Amino acid sequence: MESLIEMFHVDVKLLIAQMLNFAIVIAILYFFALKPILAVMRERTEKIEKSLQDAVAIEENMKKTEALCQHEFNEAKKAAALIMSQAGAEAEKKREKMLLRTKEEIGEIINEEKEKMRLEKAQVLKEIKASVTDLVISVTEKVIEKNLDSKDNKELIKSMIK
Amino acid sequence: MSEHAENSNQGSVSHEHTLYAEPIFHVGAFTVTNSILNSWIVVFLILVLSLFIRRKVRIVPKGIQNVFEMVIEKFLGIFDLVTQSRSRSLKFFPLVFSFFIFILFSNWMGILPGVGSIGQIAYAHGEKVFVPYFRGGTADLNTTLALAIIGVVASHIFGIIALGAWRYFNKFINIRAFLEIPKKIRKDPMIIFVNPIKAFVGLIEIIGEIAKVASLSFRLFGNVFAGEVLLASMSAILAFGVPLPFIFLEVIVGMIQALIFSVLILAYLTMNTSAEEH
Repeated sequence: MESLIEMFHVDVKLLIAQMLNFAIVIAILYFFALKPILAVMRERTEKIEKSLQDAVAIEENMKKTEALCQHEFNEAKKAAALIMSQAGAEAEKKREKMLLRTKEEIGEIINEEKEKMRLEKAQVLKEIKASVTDLVISVTEKVIEKNLDSKDNKELIKSMIK
Repeated sequence: MSEHAENSNQGSVSHEHTLYAEPIFHVGAFTVTNSILNSWIVVFLILVLSLFIRRKVRIVPKGIQNVFEMVIEKFLGIFDLVTQSRSRSLKFFPLVFSFFIFILFSNWMGILPGVGSIGQIAYAHGEKVFVPYFRGGTADLNTTLALAIIGVVASHIFGIIALGAWRYFNKFINIRAFLEIPKKIRKDPMIIFVNPIKAFVGLIEIIGEIAKVASLSFRLFGNVFAGEVLLASMSAILAFGVPLPFIFLEVIVGMIQALIFSVLILAYLTMNTSAEEH
């Protein structure tokens, strides 16, 4: 053992100095290089894992949203169809109502016209009667050349006409 | 007194490759050797590199951070093969990776031109002796021994933390094996033979721990020192061209030795933190 120490000049002070050197190396490497790099590597791994999870969640959300959209769209379609059919029915009703009213109005107008015509006809008949009476008088006067008094005359004519 | 000593064979200057690191100067009672000078340079280089990396660390990696992260990932992959669990790999990683980096830099610093060839002439025992200013840090048993002691002691500390002091103590001085005998002898009479053997195996483990330190330190020292001698010998044959393949060889050897040392430490850490299985 002695000869070994002598041969290789093993010196406790040098041993301790080299241990100290190595301790410094461990400290430097650990605090300045390995710790920050390992921390960053871990952080990156976590970030990537989280983004992957997030991506799955986002995809799921998107699917949900899409389904919701489709559902809403269908609902809207249904509602629109309902509104359309309701509007159609309403319009039909309104049309019928208007038609009815128009018919009524036309009926009224026709009645009014009929009444007017009736009155006019009566008037005309009356006038015709009067002129025919005059004509008959004058013709009869000429025929019989005798003038009855106006009262007899008129009665005669009336009986003739009738 | 200093001069370029490459290929200088003037006078009777001895160019022997010593097994030990030569002293360069003294600070009080502390002898500064050429290998500890080199180790200080290595520490400084690691400091500069670490500060540089620290400044560049971003969540989105760029440039040197990518390289460093790739190295870390590869190492964690290798460590997982030994420890069988990522959390344990991460726990041991700073210590074991520091071994790797420190030894790698020290080994490679030994190959640099000028290391081992620039120095001064000293007088020892009335003879002129060439003393290089720098010597690869791991080409000195003091360095490798210090590293091996730290590694083995750390493995014991981790073992005590993982298993508890009493259980860990019984791995070596197996008192529990003897205490078990009266309790279990009715069920299993063979225990009276088996447990003393277990206790004896525990004692052998103590020798094993010393052997670990010796094998770690001498393996590293031997390889690196042999490499330096090899390069010096090749340069002595012909300084141009001939050493080139051997320099590449030493680059690889330096890396492999650093890897072997750190993976062995990792294996010791893993073994000592696992409960013994029977």
